[in-house]
Amino acid sequence: MIEKTQLIHNKLGLHARAAAKLSHLANLYASDIYLIYNEDKVNAKSLLGILTLAASVGNEIILQASGGDEQEAIEAISDLFNRKFDEES
Amino acid sequence: MIRIKGKAVSPGIVMGRALLYNFEKEVIRAENIGAQSVQREIWRLENAVKKSQAQLKKINLGMQKIMGKDAAFIIETQYLLLKDSHLLDEIRGAIQGKLVKAEWAIKQVEKKYLDIFHSIPDLSFKAKSNDISDVLNRLIANLKKGSPAAAAPQPGQVILVADDITPSEAATLMSNKRLLGLVLNKGGETSHTVILARTLGIPAILDTVNATDSIFSGDTLALDSINGEVIVQPTPALAEDIAARIEKFREYKEQLKNLSQLPELTLDRHQFRLYANIELPFESEIVQSYGAKGIGLFRTEFLYLDSKMSISEEEQCLIYKKIAQNIFPHPLVIRTYDLGRDKSDPAAPRREENPSLGMMAVRLFLKDREPFKIQIKAIMRANTSGNIRILFPMITEIEEIRAIKAIMAEAKKELQRAGAYPRKDVQTGIMLEIPAAVRLIRHLGNDIDFFSVGSNDLIQYLLAVDRNNSDVSYLFSPYHPAFVHILKEIRTEVDRIGKEVTICGEMAGQPIPALMLLGMGFTHFSMNALAIAEIKRVFTQIDYMRLRRIVSQLGRFGSRTEIEAFLRTELEKLYPGLLSGPNT
Repeated sequence: MIEKTQLIHNKLGLHARAAAKLSHLANLYASDIYLIYNEDKVNAKSLLGILTLAASVGNEIILQASGGDEQEAIEAISDLFNRKFDEES
Repeated sequence: MIRIKGKAVSPGIVMGRALLYNFEKEVIRAENIGAQSVQREIWRLENAVKKSQAQLKKINLGMQKIMGKDAAFIIETQYLLLKDSHLLDEIRGAIQGKLVKAEWAIKQVEKKYLDIFHSIPDLSFKAKSNDISDVLNRLIANLKKGSPAAAAPQPGQVILVADDITPSEAATLMSNKRLLGLVLNKGGETSHTVILARTLGIPAILDTVNATDSIFSGDTLALDSINGEVIVQPTPALAEDIAARIEKFREYKEQLKNLSQLPELTLDRHQFRLYANIELPFESEIVQSYGAKGIGLFRTEFLYLDSKMSISEEEQCLIYKKIAQNIFPHPLVIRTYDLGRDKSDPAAPRREENPSLGMMAVRLFLKDREPFKIQIKAIMRANTSGNIRILFPMITEIEEIRAIKAIMAEAKKELQRAGAYPRKDVQTGIMLEIPAAVRLIRHLGNDIDFFSVGSNDLIQYLLAVDRNNSDVSYLFSPYHPAFVHILKEIRTEVDRIGKEVTICGEMAGQPIPALMLLGMGFTHFSMNALAIAEIKRVFTQIDYMRLRRIVSQLGRFGSRTEIEAFLRTELEKLYPGLLSGPNT
């Protein structure tokens, strides 16, 4: 299992559209992937789960993955966060 | 025949058959099943999911066609929620674990998520609970055998009457053009439903409280969202009248289409400016299509109240910036929180015997400065495009301006230290709505850049009359000679110190009062966006110099009825037909 602390850069935080992109991406990997935010832990493959976090800009979130492709999964998700979910130019 | 009043959303008049939409969610009871039926319930659930997905996909496509990708996202979220295997796993888990029917399992899951979403203070996540309820109720509806998709009950165009409707229901109805108009018991100006109605120009009346009690499906309704009224079963004579008004309104709209392109000049080329008052950020996206050349008053109270007073500087800054960009290069005037009084303000310190003479607006915030300073900083930071101005309500004396200026200086210093202060200062203005402030214009004007007249409050405080009290509201008149006099004083005093003044408040959007103001020399008007076209129509059809001559004679009259009658007669004489728009 690996973990990574990730800063939320995009202005709107994990709102519906960003959460949809994130869960879509997570579903491409076989590993179990979780997001941990303010003591809440949710499955990154669940759109609804991500929405319940109401994670907002400027805060840190922990990405956690375990499985055969855990390394790739964490990198891809972290990259999505760092690209601000492609929503800001 | 019954008349029902409500809050009008997008202007128009329509007549048609009522369709009472029964949105009362079916009462669902816990119903236990035997272990042998679990598989059957799961199979029912999976079928309902498939049906729901197909329906949402269809709605989504329809929406994209008429509104573009962005608006369609409202429905897309629901579609994606249904594809979320974890949500479905949870429902399946509830069926298996508790041995209940699919309906009850869905209700349990809905309750869980509503509880979670309701505990989130963040403004932008608030609409989510609506979406989840909407999608889960669709699932429940589709569990029924052969149940048709929601919202297809009767052919032809209808005026929908409901307690409230969900975004997907609204989207379905609006996208297939079956919806002539909308009458709702509830309000919810921020709801997706209302946004859609406004964007698509579908007349709607909200806040009727109990329209669903007095209207039956099939009733003939005349919906007048200019006056905010629904007429149920109009008499034949009235129906004929209304039909004529509908025709007239259609012609009028044609005429207005061309107006928003016209320059803001009277016949004798006297320049005026028409701005919009807005309350919700999204309105900034459409006010220009109504002809607004700027936002003269953005009321920010809702940001504070909706977020349960916890809106951050960052969130506010984003909202202000977005609006400023939407309206650029025109100005955006942001009025700081005008809380207290009737605004059911949870921040009000205690029950006051006389709230309209008590803790309100700037007075509240000079006592509890933190939220005020956060707002000021957010406004300053947002001004990257340079078109933002800040406006302070309810100013009584110069000490308040000094205190505000001190807070602004602090805010600026803090932002500069953080490297977040834009190059341009925001221009600062105050509201003239307490008569004392009018008397002090030349002193107050030293430290500020512009004034804004809140005509409703100024009348209320000058005439000691509450316009919401029906026993005395007849006194509330923009033609009261004392008020006319104070308007002239404002014009003279502001001219003397060479500052700018905008008239906000209802009278700016009413043709005769607005013409009176124009004749007094006022040039900047800010009003409900829906009134702009009509004001532009009358302003572009008159000569300023002739209007001035009429208005200069008002000093002769000592009575409001005489003033009103005089203005009306003189205007009719000079410009026959000018005052025959649907608003006059």
